[in-house]
Amino acid sequence: MLAKYLARRLFASVIVVLGVTLITLVLMDRTRGTYVPGIDLNPALRPEDIARLRANLGLDRPFYLWYLTWLWNVLHGDFGRSMIDGSPVMSHILDRLPNTLELTGTAIVIGVLISIPLGVIGALRRGSKTDHTLTVVSVAGFAVPQFWLGLLLILVFSVTFEKLGWPWLPSSGAFASFGGGDILDRIAHLVMPATVLSFFYLSLWSRFTRSSMLEVLSQDYIRTARAKGMAERRVVYLHGLRNALIPLITLVGLELPGLVSGGLVVEVVFGWPGIGRLAFERALQYDYSTVMGVTFFATLLVVAGNLLADVLYAILDPRIRYA
Amino acid sequence: MAGPLLEVQDLRTVFRTKHGDVKAVDGVSFEISPGETLGIVGESGSGKSVTALSVMRLQRPGKILSGKVLFQGRDLTKVSEGEMREIRGQDIAMIFQDPMTSMNPVFRTGWQVAEPVRLHKGLDRTSAMAVAVSMLGKVGIPGPATRARDYPHQFSGGMRQRAMIAMGLTTTPKVLIADEPTTALDVTIQAQILELLRQVNRDFGTATILITHNLGVVAGMCERVMVMYAGRVVESGPTVDVFAHPKHPYTWSLLRSIPRLDAERHEPLKPIDGLPPDLIDLPSGCAFHPRCQFKVERCSRDTPLLNRVGETQLAACWVTQSGVELKGA
Amino acid sequence: MLGQTPAGEIDLPRSAFEGEASRPAQSYWNESWERLRANRIGMAAGVLLLILAAISLAAPLFTLFLTHYEPARLDLLTTFQPPGHPHLLGTDELGRDTLTRLIYGGRVTLGVAFLTVAISLTLGSSVGLVAGFYGGWIDDILMRFVDMVLAIPAIFLFILMSILFRPTPVTLAAIIASVGWGGVARLVRGEVLSVKQRDFIMATRSIGARDLRLITRHLLPNVLPVLIVAASLGVGQIILIEAALDFLGLGIQPPTASWGNMLTNSESYFFHSVWLVIFPGVTIFVTVLASNIFGNAIRDAFDPRLKTTH
Repeated sequence: MLAKYLARRLFASVIVVLGVTLITLVLMDRTRGTYVPGIDLNPALRPEDIARLRANLGLDRPFYLWYLTWLWNVLHGDFGRSMIDGSPVMSHILDRLPNTLELTGTAIVIGVLISIPLGVIGALRRGSKTDHTLTVVSVAGFAVPQFWLGLLLILVFSVTFEKLGWPWLPSSGAFASFGGGDILDRIAHLVMPATVLSFFYLSLWSRFTRSSMLEVLSQDYIRTARAKGMAERRVVYLHGLRNALIPLITLVGLELPGLVSGGLVVEVVFGWPGIGRLAFERALQYDYSTVMGVTFFATLLVVAGNLLADVLYAILDPRIRYA
Repeated sequence: MAGPLLEVQDLRTVFRTKHGDVKAVDGVSFEISPGETLGIVGESGSGKSVTALSVMRLQRPGKILSGKVLFQGRDLTKVSEGEMREIRGQDIAMIFQDPMTSMNPVFRTGWQVAEPVRLHKGLDRTSAMAVAVSMLGKVGIPGPATRARDYPHQFSGGMRQRAMIAMGLTTTPKVLIADEPTTALDVTIQAQILELLRQVNRDFGTATILITHNLGVVAGMCERVMVMYAGRVVESGPTVDVFAHPKHPYTWSLLRSIPRLDAERHEPLKPIDGLPPDLIDLPSGCAFHPRCQFKVERCSRDTPLLNRVGETQLAACWVTQSGVELKGA
Repeated sequence: MLGQTPAGEIDLPRSAFEGEASRPAQSYWNESWERLRANRIGMAAGVLLLILAAISLAAPLFTLFLTHYEPARLDLLTTFQPPGHPHLLGTDELGRDTLTRLIYGGRVTLGVAFLTVAISLTLGSSVGLVAGFYGGWIDDILMRFVDMVLAIPAIFLFILMSILFRPTPVTLAAIIASVGWGGVARLVRGEVLSVKQRDFIMATRSIGARDLRLITRHLLPNVLPVLIVAASLGVGQIILIEAALDFLGLGIQPPTASWGNMLTNSESYFFHSVWLVIFPGVTIFVTVLASNIFGNAIRDAFDPRLKTTH
């Protein structure tokens, strides 16, 4: 049963991926006939030369040939070459991927570590001033534009602090270019972008933990636990929290497929050398093939992540296999 | 003969809501002696569960307004929370209606059954588990050592309730309160669980308070019975006597509304007219008078007190206290 | 008991029907509206949104009577003016009046958001209705397509499309909607599947109603509440996305003002003109906050089942 379910899910995933490739390439088709970036500026080139250049870059073949060649390359790990400098997209991706994972991974960890206590406090002190304050803060947290928050943090902790002569946080890059790279340096660079990124998770997850906790604490087995004469702390943290965390883990798990793409705006604001920023920089230069390659790679990760999550669920909950 | 083990005197518990105060327990008194079985009977909303929860001081968000709960020389309404925690699960144990929701789904059953004895007697994990397994066997669960490692959802309804009963007994409490232990079960399983409770009462000598809305359950299990209505005790006495000649119109009407093997043929069931009262806004005088066919003028004025009527029974009714026999259509 | 009570003379206790009269039943829409009205914070947020929208719509009137500046009007002699007279919120690096730009920017941002919601809902519910109603291979294909669209990380798709198509407010709305419609489609399909089970669908079919009629006259009204809730909850996110794209330079291009692109270069002006960073950001924040609160209020009013424990 399990194998059948997995096979079905795998098949569906492959279809989705193929469909995505088709969609992206159909979109990209627009760019093939238009122009060759960076070269139009040279008026000395004759039309024949332009035609030859385009032929070399494979820009004039019929669509299906282009599509199939592209697909073939992808299966071999070749995600295309940059339209600007011809460098392979894959190498850029592999360069930058660890940075992105470092950033978003840290943000998720921070998010979880802070949401749980906040949610528990909110639930235990429901209706109190503390609870209301926390609720207000998390509702507000949803409404703050990420890029604006990042800007403000930079302007306070980097620019102002520096002007005031206080120790200031670096505002761009993952580590200092000269003489940096040690763990403290990396952390200093990581603090602000990870905080901004985790802000959204915090707002969402702390409220969720709170309602999950409230729901659990109203269950019958909590009453039973109290009737057994155990200390309230044990009731809440051992019997209660254990159950309340389960839905939260599910929620966190849903974020994992988007691990690669979620941090794009933050990466740009903080100059973080990740995949998101790569796509952005290249987009500004109209390097379509790189952007496409990166997009496809990110999509692959999303589909793989979803598949993995489905597999885990099927293992943990036998009822799903028959869906 | 020793005095009563647990004595409740004029207990009042209230739930404050924005519509008013719900007087869930409105002056309840009763007692239970060691090894006795007492049934508390009433409809939903009669206050029977809240009474039990108040004894255990688990009535939150309700509030105990007044009254005493005397247990082993102490008034449980006045002891500290720490002392109360010692008593809960160790001297007085309570088990609940639906074992599926009353047991924690993420912990193994044996672990949960062993928890009270680990907490109260300070036993280490192995010894506590041994006690749990032994108790699971005594309540009739086959293969207890393996089943102890199962999770609650892996048990059938009846087995789960047995496990809950085991959970209440590992510390050999003096009083066991069972709140509707059979309501969530099939009829055939109900009989088995009742038999188990009877056996437990015999073998361990635990005083048992059985809360239920089902008169048949009481008849099968309890020496004495106490009938509650609108947060008050309306009648109490030996089960046999109360069922044979009820001394309160409510009990009398209840008994006429259930099918009986000894009824006359063609005798229709008579439901009780009217609806249970609003606990925020109780009727004046006797809470049952709007629905009572025996009422007299005094019933709507003065609240009747629980007094002796007949040799062995107590009833809170002006009419029967003045000697009238309950008879009629 | 046979022979006891003649048919037609059932002796019901009178008092079974006495007691408090229940409230008269109301239609679902009236009830929801009442619930919404009772939520004061939600209503306040809604009113705020209305005011913001009204101000934006009436932008030319504002410039005519209040600020006397057009959003694109340069005045290189009055650059970086702090808030005061006559520029109530100061000026930017090209001497343009901030307040005016904020008001006009609201037009763009709110306009794009509204259009995005409209496109998302229309496209999404059409697909969802058809897929849910017909089921079978139509459903499979449509939902597979939705899966594909939803698999691509939104932000990458936005970037890709922004460089492929010139970002005018309309195309920007289309771009943002191109991801959103998928979620709507899934939601609608789910609702249709559950509504389809209900008997009145079969009853209507049995009197010979055509498919289109069934879909529009019977399914759609039942699906509407879910749509309303989804729309109101999503507006805030859409505004944030639009602002982010503008900020990155991939959305509305200057000199057209939008809240996002007013922040694009503000970093370099921070130290001497902090208001250039504060005002647009605060405006976005307040608008999104109001729409989130209002959206929650709508959800609580129209679908109380979804209400989380308070």
